[in-house]
Amino acid sequence: MKTLLFLIPLYLLPLAVQSDVVLTILIFTFVLGILAIGFNIVFGGAGQLTMFHAAAFGIGSYVTFLSMLRFAIPFWLGFLVAVVIVIIVSIVIGWICFKFRLKEFYFAVVTLAFAELCRLVVLNWTSVTNGTLGMLVLEKPTIWIPGGGVVRIEQTVPWYFLTLICLTGVLIFSVLLTRSWIGRNFSAIRLNEDLAQTLGINTFRYKLLAFTISNVIAAFAGALYGFYTGYIEPSYLAVAQSLDAIAMVLLGGVSTILGPVVGALVLTSLPHLIELPAEMRVAVYGMILILVILLMRRGIVGLAAGLLKGRVNAA
Amino acid sequence: MTQVVVGQILNGIILGSLYGIIALGVTMTFGITGIVNFALGQFMMIGAYATWYFTDLAMLPFPVAVVLAVVLAAVAGLIADQALFRFTRNNLVNGLLVSIGLISVMESGALLLFTTTPKNMDIVIAGSWSLGAITLPRMKVVAFLLLVAVIGLTWLGLSRAWLGRATRAYAQNPEAAMLMGVPTKLLQTGVVVYSCALAGFGGALYASLFSLEPSLGGLFILKGVEAAILAGVGNLLGALAGGVILGVTESVGSLYLPSAFRDAYGLVFLVAILLFRPAGLFGSQK
Repeated sequence: MKTLLFLIPLYLLPLAVQSDVVLTILIFTFVLGILAIGFNIVFGGAGQLTMFHAAAFGIGSYVTFLSMLRFAIPFWLGFLVAVVIVIIVSIVIGWICFKFRLKEFYFAVVTLAFAELCRLVVLNWTSVTNGTLGMLVLEKPTIWIPGGGVVRIEQTVPWYFLTLICLTGVLIFSVLLTRSWIGRNFSAIRLNEDLAQTLGINTFRYKLLAFTISNVIAAFAGALYGFYTGYIEPSYLAVAQSLDAIAMVLLGGVSTILGPVVGALVLTSLPHLIELPAEMRVAVYGMILILVILLMRRGIVGLAAGLLKGRVNAA
Repeated sequence: MTQVVVGQILNGIILGSLYGIIALGVTMTFGITGIVNFALGQFMMIGAYATWYFTDLAMLPFPVAVVLAVVLAAVAGLIADQALFRFTRNNLVNGLLVSIGLISVMESGALLLFTTTPKNMDIVIAGSWSLGAITLPRMKVVAFLLLVAVIGLTWLGLSRAWLGRATRAYAQNPEAAMLMGVPTKLLQTGVVVYSCALAGFGGALYASLFSLEPSLGGLFILKGVEAAILAGVGNLLGALAGGVILGVTESVGSLYLPSAFRDAYGLVFLVAILLFRPAGLFGSQK
């Protein structure tokens, strides 16, 4: 829990920094950080390499928006509908994958196949989703503030605080989950699935649980992302989106608490820090990814933790 | 109507044999190095652009251009292996991410060099054979036969020659193979380079059939992985069959079902195979 104290300066930051660019980058960092935390629960926690989180992300944004339009309900109720749908989808897909004991490469490929099927449905169900063109989201989330009544979140600073609070909530949840008996069962499965089974852990049930939780968190990130950018399109469900989240987690540090957020910060701010033509920017991004994977196996957080420990030992 | 169906089946077969040659690379690399080189599609792109460059700009005859393109793809593969894949052996996730980084680098390189304007190569073999009411473009038939020949020769080499036996021994038990004197490091590098050369060869034939864009490789790696799993990973001739099945399913499927879901048929097929015959269509079930 002490690691979460790092978040306090972020709450004070808007007092010092008024730049819209910086705050916008941080909002994207927080939202994509939530997606990465979700992936870290199933991969860094239970050791299952899923490729479905982008689909959950996209379903989260589409279902939240569509149910708001259809049933004229506020954002949070719309999100609740999305959660129900994502839970059902995750249980069906997870049940199929885990019942047939798909592992590693095969699990990744089958979840990827299901994610692509979801994307194709969104892309081609034009009457509902408006196909490739995507949809403009003019609605905004509303929250109730004591003394202020119901407020629409529109400006950059309110969005900053909303996404930061959501990130804090998800981080606290992930810490509590990791420290609980559920999280320990996840680790047991990651480290040695056969042994975990022998020790009486129902691996099927816990893998399904990890998969579902991670998809619900991804859907949350998707709902926030769609409403912040004001635009929803089928590319939210694309393979590239899944890979981005995986890169964030590996860059930041797998199975660490802050790793996904640090990775999200680096990969979101990087394109803004380097002044290059678009094609070169993609190439630089690729090279950084390669270098990090080859040279920093434990990610930024793992490396920093190692350095800190070294200093303590030396002192 | 039959004419349209037969035409689509032929298109499916030629596209499928291109999937097959990528699937062969995927199957071999996965068996020996434990990773999947997701940038294989981009090595195919190298082969395709090199062929176009050598025939249309350098005015070399087509066979020479193909050989040069294959060599170029192999050299690129050797560099990628020594600089990158050497460090990710038997680590699927790292291999995946390194090859994704490589995809970004190679695609933006191609964008800088060749821009997004599609390139069309001059026709190599014009004309077509006709069988009754069906016309077969000659180039498609030749390309198909060449792909089948290369895949067949690879299979023959791996099942007859010493190198092939060493490869299979390694796939079965790496430690025992090493103790029997199999040069394992050389073998792993060789497999990565060979799969890149195969992809380059596929790209050279692609260039003679379709127009070229820097993003052409992206589609093929997914189809290649699908075809490899469909056949059962490690099955060399099955890779060709898996690719052809996939290509034909897509082409014929899009005649009768909405063509927007073209990419979905293969995926549904793939999931069904993995669930009910996990060792692949042609794999032996334990």
